[in-house]
Amino acid sequence: MSDLPLLPGQPVPLPKGPHPLLGPGLYARDAQVRASVIGRPRRDGSTLSIPHQKPRPPAPNSVVLGSITRLSPVQALLSITVVDGIPLPPGEEFTGIIRSQDVRATEKDKVKISDCFRGGDIVRGLVISLGDARSYYVTTGRNDLGVIFATSESGATMEPVSWQEMRCPRTGRIEKRKCAKPEGL
Amino acid sequence: MAQALFDRRRVNGPEESFPPVYDSDEEDELSGSNLNTRQGRSSADIRPIYLKPGLINQANGSAYIETEKTKIACAVYGPRQSRSTTYNEKGKLNVEVKFAPFSCTRRRAPMRDAEDRSIAVLIQQALIPSLRLELLPKSTIDVFIVIIENDGIEGCVASGSIAASTALANAGIEMLGLVTSCAASVVNEEIWLDPTVNEARLTRGTLLLGFMPALGIVTNVWQTGQLTIEEAIKSMELCKERCLDIHSVVAQALLDSAKEQ
Repeated sequence: MSDLPLLPGQPVPLPKGPHPLLGPGLYARDAQVRASVIGRPRRDGSTLSIPHQKPRPPAPNSVVLGSITRLSPVQALLSITVVDGIPLPPGEEFTGIIRSQDVRATEKDKVKISDCFRGGDIVRGLVISLGDARSYYVTTGRNDLGVIFATSESGATMEPVSWQEMRCPRTGRIEKRKCAKPEGL
Repeated sequence: MAQALFDRRRVNGPEESFPPVYDSDEEDELSGSNLNTRQGRSSADIRPIYLKPGLINQANGSAYIETEKTKIACAVYGPRQSRSTTYNEKGKLNVEVKFAPFSCTRRRAPMRDAEDRSIAVLIQQALIPSLRLELLPKSTIDVFIVIIENDGIEGCVASGSIAASTALANAGIEMLGLVTSCAASVVNEEIWLDPTVNEARLTRGTLLLGFMPALGIVTNVWQTGQLTIEEAIKSMELCKERCLDIHSVVAQALLDSAKEQ
């Protein structure tokens, strides 16, 4: 493709072959594909898109990182700070809710929120829906989703021992969290 | 021995001094002169535009525009979570305009008044058709425009729309195309494009056009004063041609800034 980035509204030169699917950053109008943001179009298989470098609001199926701000018996409130790998500017966090039935995939009705999350934990989750006006609905019901970093009662950063437990290195105490599976295991 | 001039006990001023010359003295001479031909440029010329995106680091996107005596800075924050309690399927655009107290010939109080709001509404009307707000549910985009020096309302709205569209592209917000804007005013029987505040005083009717050259869509028309229908249509055609030229300026500025990043 050409060297210069495309500007919004500029027609996109289509590669030869079958018509590609349009991903984010492009739109089609009157049978002409045009760019929607500034950038160079990239092809991933059959999808043509312009990848985003700027922070965006969460959409269904985006992986988010956030910290737990409030707990209640049926849900945990999450302050979303990173969306799809792009950190949001400070002060512009979105709020998400992890309902007790979305915490894990098995035994959904027997969940105790205080055994899964505590305030201040950094959690990786997946957005399942736009939710209501105030918050997005987030789930941690997958092996790689859940608590990533947590601080123990004595102030040290804990290490995950299993998917249910974390261990404080200073005191040796085990605390219960719904942990995310670390990458590489 | 000129003892009256050189007083050894005090700091003496320069031997020769002149009273200061103010800009307004020069301008009053110009505006009083004849109305028939335009001073300094032809009737279809617009003032040269200096546009630079990305000057405000803490905002998601920003742009600064300067055309002779109009200087406007624009910052875009967002998309951020809407603070409203109702669920919105489409995003919202919120435009706020503020005049700096030193921007006009007479000092403006820092409070926001009706003039700020009318400019904000016009700029919002020009921008909304170009944004893909359906991709941003529950979000708000905040556009803050500060007018640092003001040379007529039409110039402010036109330059403000151009700066805001550039800042939105700089912020990476999905849009259908860039919006450019141009004003035209009718003086005697001629149509002068991009009027200054002195020229706007001579006119009997003004038309401002917001246009998206990529798709050929007009986003905003604002007309004040008295224009015949032919004059209005001719003004719109002239403005559309100028908007195409302004679009290439905006495109060049955005490409240069994308290269620097």
